[in-house]
Amino acid sequence: MIAILQWTTLAVCALAAVARVPSALRGENRSLFAVYLLLTVAILLSIDAPYVAIDQALGGLNLANVVLRFIVFGAIFALGLRIARGFGAEDALRFLTGPVGIAVAAAASVAVVVSFLMMDTAGSSAGLVEVHAKSARNAVLVEYYGAAGRLYPAYVMLALLPAMLRTVGSRLPGLVRVGAALLAVGSVAITLSLLFPVIPASLAYLRFVINYTAILCIIVGLATFWLSKALAMRTREMETDATG
Amino acid sequence: MPLPAKAFQLWLHGVAPTASTADICRISGIKRTTLAQQLVRGKVSESTLVSISRALKRSPLDDLASFDSFAGLAEQPQPPTPAELVSQIATMDLLRAVISRSSPAYGGFGDSSSSLTPPLSAAPHATSVRNWVDAIDDGELRHRVSAATGVAPQNYSAQLTANRLSPELAVATSRAAGVGFTGGLVATGLLTEAEAGWTPAAKQAALDALSDGELTALAGERLQSLGRTLRRQEHEHEQTQKIWENLG
Repeated sequence: MIAILQWTTLAVCALAAVARVPSALRGENRSLFAVYLLLTVAILLSIDAPYVAIDQALGGLNLANVVLRFIVFGAIFALGLRIARGFGAEDALRFLTGPVGIAVAAAASVAVVVSFLMMDTAGSSAGLVEVHAKSARNAVLVEYYGAAGRLYPAYVMLALLPAMLRTVGSRLPGLVRVGAALLAVGSVAITLSLLFPVIPASLAYLRFVINYTAILCIIVGLATFWLSKALAMRTREMETDATG
Repeated sequence: MPLPAKAFQLWLHGVAPTASTADICRISGIKRTTLAQQLVRGKVSESTLVSISRALKRSPLDDLASFDSFAGLAEQPQPPTPAELVSQIATMDLLRAVISRSSPAYGGFGDSSSSLTPPLSAAPHATSVRNWVDAIDDGELRHRVSAATGVAPQNYSAQLTANRLSPELAVATSRAAGVGFTGGLVATGLLTEAEAGWTPAAKQAALDALSDGELTALAGERLQSLGRTLRRQEHEHEQTQKIWENLG
């Protein structure tokens, strides 16, 4: 089940990235293309087989996991900027680029690096599962490491959530509101990931469900904006008709 | 509540005993699937009845009145008030009347109804429902309608904003305001003015009866609310463009 979810998410994300190549070549929204690309790599690195293959090439010290964290940070930051600008959310933009946002990003980065350096990280293992199992000390460090990695994305998406909900409740075109709703669901899911440490082991699959739901919702939500734009360009039905 | 399917079929059998469903659909321009669906659900919309009645060259008003929920519609017909008539004049026609009454120096004819002014367009217009309710509202109308029908005020307002009103609510509104039943049915476009029994010149006469001051103030109000609507649409358009620019 989980494997299906993982590979589906990867396929959807890769497809979205490929579909954006032409517009990226035309120079439209290149940063969004970069976001898709980074997310594709991130998903690839979160799946067992590709992770082990890539990490082995990097020396088998689970460096790939650190790379994954920073790819996610970068993608989320770029995406957050786009969403904040798109939704005209000045407040959210301040939360991202202001001193608080920088401080949270820095704190999360430092925490990721420090906890990683303190672990015994030999032996490639996606999600650091085997590293976690090595010793009690490692187990605690992996929890901190994971929490730090989830902190920044949750912060960004939480800062954007009000703007998304405003758009959902607005009178903008239906597909735009659907896209905003999907982003909002993704944001809530990412925020829920902060609760991972209190999810009992028997419900561990919930972690996967929440993670991949979040990514899928965000990717499909973005694609929905794109679709609504493409449809509107085709029909050009944005003219007002209240003058009748 | 639309018309019950049983009563509708009884009516249909009474007015067109030999016609098949296919015939009815063909002459009235209703899609067969639409009618079938309404019959299966047990609720036939009033507009279906009106289309069929029209196609059979009958009086849609009388046919509507033959149903329980619209009983009393055609009895003691109460003509529309002048305010209701004026509310069914499109904003652009009101503005044209303002110009028409102005002096020739500003492109007018200096009188109230010149033969050179184009005839008024037929109701309904883009904001006819809200304008109609505003025309008969004494300030408490919405509360009375809401109390009588159980429809929440915000849902009622939402329908007005969308220039829609279900026939039941339109009739309930007329009843609560103490005006004739036809005003709402014309404003929502269910019936034409002629079908409602309005005389062809009624709207023009009501318009001509307005003093220059009344007409100008009314046109001004309409123009202001049109301006608000357009501004809101423009704002939403800008927001959408921004989302598409950044995320599309």
